[in-house]
Amino acid sequence: MAVSRITSCPPSPQPRISRRTLLKGSVALALGTAGQSPAHSMAVEKPEAGTSNSTLYKGKVIDCHAHLNHRSRATWEADDGKLIEAADKLGIDQLCCSTLTPHQPATADGFRECNQWTADGMRRFPGRVLGYCYVNPGYGREALDEIRRCIEDEEFIGIKLYNEYTCTEPVVFPVVELAIELGVPILQHALHSHYFVEEQPRMSDGGHLAELAGRYPEAMLICAHISGGGDWEWTIKALLHAPNVLLDTSGSVTDDGTVEMAASMVGADRVVFGCDSSMTAGVGKIRGANLSAQDKQKILGENMTKLLRRRKS
Amino acid sequence: MIVDVNAYLGHFAFRRLQHNTAASLLELMDSRKIDKAVVSSASSITYRNAHAGNEEIAAEVRDHHDRLIPFAVINPFYAGWQDDLKICHEEFGMAGLRLYPKWHNYQLSSPCCRELVNAATERGMIISIPIRVEDNRQRSWLLDVPDVPLEEIVELVKVHPKARFILLNGMGYTRCPLGRKDNDLPSNYAIGLSRLSAVLANELGQLITNMGAERVMFGTGMPFNYPDPALVKLEILDASEADKEKIRSQNAMTWLRL
Repeated sequence: MAVSRITSCPPSPQPRISRRTLLKGSVALALGTAGQSPAHSMAVEKPEAGTSNSTLYKGKVIDCHAHLNHRSRATWEADDGKLIEAADKLGIDQLCCSTLTPHQPATADGFRECNQWTADGMRRFPGRVLGYCYVNPGYGREALDEIRRCIEDEEFIGIKLYNEYTCTEPVVFPVVELAIELGVPILQHALHSHYFVEEQPRMSDGGHLAELAGRYPEAMLICAHISGGGDWEWTIKALLHAPNVLLDTSGSVTDDGTVEMAASMVGADRVVFGCDSSMTAGVGKIRGANLSAQDKQKILGENMTKLLRRRKS
Repeated sequence: MIVDVNAYLGHFAFRRLQHNTAASLLELMDSRKIDKAVVSSASSITYRNAHAGNEEIAAEVRDHHDRLIPFAVINPFYAGWQDDLKICHEEFGMAGLRLYPKWHNYQLSSPCCRELVNAATERGMIISIPIRVEDNRQRSWLLDVPDVPLEEIVELVKVHPKARFILLNGMGYTRCPLGRKDNDLPSNYAIGLSRLSAVLANELGQLITNMGAERVMFGTGMPFNYPDPALVKLEILDASEADKEKIRSQNAMTWLRL
């Protein structure tokens, strides 16, 4: 990874921003607010080989929530390329991607086709795209077979569940049990609004995830997009006592204080960086969060890396 | 030099804000090298008498006029708005105002609002319109305030060609006449970048192509929002340094006559 300089908010004239540099700045910025000079926090050199510099984030930056484009979209191929370009610009090393059907509920043929495209994306962007297997749990055996195929044969890293069922419905339990058997996480689409969302009547929220986590304490669950999932303060509080649920920071909402509240309440060990296609929002809120460098390192990649190492197959 | 045309002070009724005093906002601005910010009252969004918030802002920025540029919040359906506008302009030195038609429950096309826009324009004041305050999905159970439809803005800028508008917290401009090239609209509005994408769909880049960098302004939405997403957009934007400088500060400085 060729990181030469990070720049978080430079005075004009601006230096040119190098590829994969911006997120490293989030760590440097945190260090700056912890007592280093602003100048140091704005431009930190990558350590030379054989040297050590504890102010730099050396691990992978992993976007835990990303999507490849459905191929009914005429521009899918170019748009997938733009996602990688954006990741390059923003310093994101890996993107955990699913492909969703344009409409829900997904049919079995529909989610299988999506997963084939995700697998193809993993081949087109090796090392950059990690795959989530998307299923509709209502398809029972077909959904379970598809998960096993994707995880065991296609090297997918986890399961993506959307809004076909609330995650506390019994039809979802076999999926959770298989995820436990395989040692992979489930990224659960979630939103908590203080009104009924007619378009998504079986929406899950942080409360449902906490309930599911209590039923399956061995499961590794990720609550999707706290910054685009309605009342984020409610969601964070609902997940306080659910230690096996991680909170994904993705979403288009950039409310100041979101990441800090999540880290403060549930602990930085349970917060994972994500964008869900809101790329600058995703990066900017981590960079802006008033957290220690160590906590940002956990959020940017260490927590997700730990999660993925628990895979059993 | 960085000038933020989209900042606030005071309390918001539905969420605790940090960095919402002059001192704390300036500290945040310093940490991000933001030199100046246009601020209005967050409290006035839900105060019935919005002018109370203007008074609070005037007191808060009194010693910081070199960096905090106060704008008024005026509700043209509230008694005495003409007096409030006069005080904000002549006594408080406010160079512009912000309108909240959906929060204050009036139409931009209503005669009262037209009268306010004309009065502000006669005074040379800028009229700034936040398309939204916060994401509607997280709204309180007490209310349901929609975004200001961009179609209503189209009509407004047409009817008031001599007025100057800054549109904040919006997106989707390129899908309506406001962001299209050769749209037959007066060049009397500028667009803040806080919710514009700078990668993937790259609406920010499209707007610059369609309308020129002169029509885009830097704005963060702080302290509602982290300032960093807006800063990141400027950093990664595929544009000339001259265009970035216009967006970063020059356009706002020209409009604000700084």
